[in-house]
Amino acid sequence: MEQVIVEPREERANVVVFPRFGECSYRDSEVLEFPWGLPGFGHLRKFVVLQVAGQDGFIWLQSLDDTNVALPLADPWSVFEDYDPHLPHYATAALGIEDPEDFVIMCVVVVTKEAKERTMNLLAPIVINLKTRTGRQVMLENSGYSARTPMPRRPSQAGGAGSSEGEAVSP
Amino acid sequence: MLVLSRKINQAIMVGDDVRIVIVAVERDQVKVGIEAPRDIPVHRSEVYEEIQRANRLAAEAASQAPIGDVPAGAVSAPLGQARQRRAKIPPGERRKSP
Repeated sequence: MEQVIVEPREERANVVVFPRFGECSYRDSEVLEFPWGLPGFGHLRKFVVLQVAGQDGFIWLQSLDDTNVALPLADPWSVFEDYDPHLPHYATAALGIEDPEDFVIMCVVVVTKEAKERTMNLLAPIVINLKTRTGRQVMLENSGYSARTPMPRRPSQAGGAGSSEGEAVSP
Repeated sequence: MLVLSRKINQAIMVGDDVRIVIVAVERDQVKVGIEAPRDIPVHRSEVYEEIQRANRLAAEAASQAPIGDVPAGAVSAPLGQARQRRAKIPPGERRKSP
């Protein structure tokens, strides 16, 4: 009879029940740390990223500290092709980012009931250092971007300082 | 809240690393200079409050109105597959000194 050998290095999956997503599993190495929390949720530090089958374009930043909190995020360039965030120095310095390969930027999305509001926060993107698995939400003050930029159905212009306004398509 | 009176060009230290200087005083406006380490964010408080509100709204809206159907059992999505080359890392910049 063959012996089953378990790789000693294999990470065990944590299984958690989230109010919104039901039972999910994640590995410790997949946890994201937000040392400064998030504005409005300053006490939350540990998150996992979840993706729901069939919801292309969105991921969920699910809090491990308060499982009731999950923020939908999206890649801003999937919606606004000309998004041009100039990251303030504290963003890259605080997260130890040196190389463009090291990080991704995602923006918080607001989608209300019946999609009455579909907006993206281009004013305060979330920067995530992929190597260290740390993140921070940074504010692009004076950029001209809005925290509630209407999301058109097709990729469009973001309407920051110096570029034309994007079209809002009603849902 | 600690309230201090300062004249033009006088300053306040917050901790060891943050220095706030009164640069100019006009009738109803005060120009404030802030010297702080580059890893400390400095923002007008209305901006910060706006982001707080937006985050809370996003979480609240998400808890009430799912984006499409949410099948049970979301899987953990390792980030890092997105290829984003558009955001630039700022070159070494110096904060303006008053």
